Amino acid sequence: MFFNSGIFWFLMGILFVLVVAGFRACAKDRRWEISWWKAALGILWYCLFMLTFYAWGTLIGENEGVAGFRILILGLFICLVSGVCLWRWMAAKRRIG
Amino acid sequence: MDVPYDKGLSRRNLLKLAGIAGVAVQAGALVVAGKQEGKSSESYTGWESFHPGTQFFDRKPFEFEGPSHAPVGEVRRPSHHTDYVFQRVGSFEQAYRKHPGWTLEDPIENLELIPELEAFYKEFPERLEWDFKTFSETIPNNREDSAKYNNYYLLAEAYEAGFSAHSRFLRGPTDPPEKSDFPGRDMMGRPPRNPVPFRTPDLASEFVKEIAHRYGATLAGITKTNPNWLYSEGWRGCPQDYDFSVMPAHWENAIVIGVPMEWDVVLSNPQFGTSNDAYDRVTTAALRLEGMIKFLGYPVRSHTPLTDYDLLVPPHAVEAGLGEIGRTGFCITPEAGGNCRMAVITTNLPMTMDKPIDYGVARFCNKCKLCAESCPSGAISMADSPDGLVIRGYEHWYINNGACYNYWRETMGPMGCRLCVATCPYSRKDNWLHDLARKIDPRDPTGAVSSGLLQIQKRLFPYPAASEYHRPPQGRFASFRPEPPYLEVDKYLDIAVTKPGK
Repeated sequence: MFFNSGIFWFLMGILFVLVVAGFRACAKDRRWEISWWKAALGILWYCLFMLTFYAWGTLIGENEGVAGFRILILGLFICLVSGVCLWRWMAAKRRIG
Repeated sequence: MDVPYDKGLSRRNLLKLAGIAGVAVQAGALVVAGKQEGKSSESYTGWESFHPGTQFFDRKPFEFEGPSHAPVGEVRRPSHHTDYVFQRVGSFEQAYRKHPGWTLEDPIENLELIPELEAFYKEFPERLEWDFKTFSETIPNNREDSAKYNNYYLLAEAYEAGFSAHSRFLRGPTDPPEKSDFPGRDMMGRPPRNPVPFRTPDLASEFVKEIAHRYGATLAGITKTNPNWLYSEGWRGCPQDYDFSVMPAHWENAIVIGVPMEWDVVLSNPQFGTSNDAYDRVTTAALRLEGMIKFLGYPVRSHTPLTDYDLLVPPHAVEAGLGEIGRTGFCITPEAGGNCRMAVITTNLPMTMDKPIDYGVARFCNKCKLCAESCPSGAISMADSPDGLVIRGYEHWYINNGACYNYWRETMGPMGCRLCVATCPYSRKDNWLHDLARKIDPRDPTGAVSSGLLQIQKRLFPYPAASEYHRPPQGRFASFRPEPPYLEVDKYLDIAVTKPGK
């Protein structure tokens, strides 16, 4: 099955590189200073965001669609709040003087 | 309007657009991939292969020197007459049929029970009340309900009937252990061989477990047989005057094996589920192991759901490292939770013993209580911990098996309930989502992970109220989850169906 295969995860890896490249382009536009730990936090946030969708699908697959949808809503809410915080923090300029 | 060439899509904007598209594609693809993972045949622990890989949980970090069970008071061995619920209710039924006018107001002596059972009912009067209710009220009501609704559960019963096929011709030992357990002449008339020695007990243990999986066991572990957990009388093939006080020496080692019930069916309990799928498979695996060990010249006796038991299984399973005792009284395993039907093979083949494990079940059961809250008969203890609950000399959760059996006889479809198996958060399939919990939770010493997961389980997963599982009008014969598509009567059968609650 394609969605369980190694090729699928290989393509997901390529897409992930594309997403990171897009994010870097966006960060440059906004003149954000992205240190390694900010980047790591960003990746962590993105993984959480994607896991929310993966968990939703998994629970639909095992006939727990109701719980899956509730977990999707909860996960997206957590991602929204943490995402806004992360965005503002990345956008913050270092104060000098 | 003309767009100047140099104002076209820049490389940076292209990357940004591609990144956004990548996010959308990844999110969509992961939903589909998750769906495949959720219903993947590989996630059906025990129903996916006959390979040792079915026992996938790494037990080593959680092992400790046993025993897991130590007596806290005077030990009394379990009795077939009183503690074994099927024999007890069978005896009560016989007596009640002889005295159909008997009520709880009448002296118990009028029932002419065997002395052991009469003494038991005097010590535990609530068991008498439940057993009386089962035969005076629940079973007659069930006959009415069956006449009305039974067609709706016909395919579930047919599915069970297939898994009961072996039980019609399988029989347990017909001679005492000294005779029936020892190898006899083979089909060619050759005399039994002397026990074939293994190079080391370690290798014997490795071989037996490997072959147990190949024979269909999902889980396998080895421990010493504990004489305290043998029934005090009524071993198969033994006359009444047999000396049941001494364990046969060749029962010294116990190989414990387990097989889960089918995962979609187990979630459709109490009305659509069956135990017989796993009973059949675990019995088959145990009898195969018995045959193999006998072939190698060792005495052996299997204790299985279809050929009956001479001992208690759950404490042996715990000592063999298969899991921990939960609030429900059975062994909760890391791979299959409570969804595990077990058999024991006793032998004197020298093997290395496994160690019991502590992966957090006892602490989790103290705070979870989902099984007890869902139990339609209230048979499972709601106590905050098993401390002080001493039964036959051992401290463990109290289960009222009279109340439990009473609800068995109320259900529709194949007899039984198994709701505690379905509702247990440990009884989940093998996919990344549940495996993440399996890996993280036992390694969290604070218990915060299990508390968080428990809140998710209680608040986000639908749990029907206990009353909904009862017959109408009190309930609606609810099931924990709907029947699997292949048991849907409407889909396959051309018959009139009345659904409860409609």
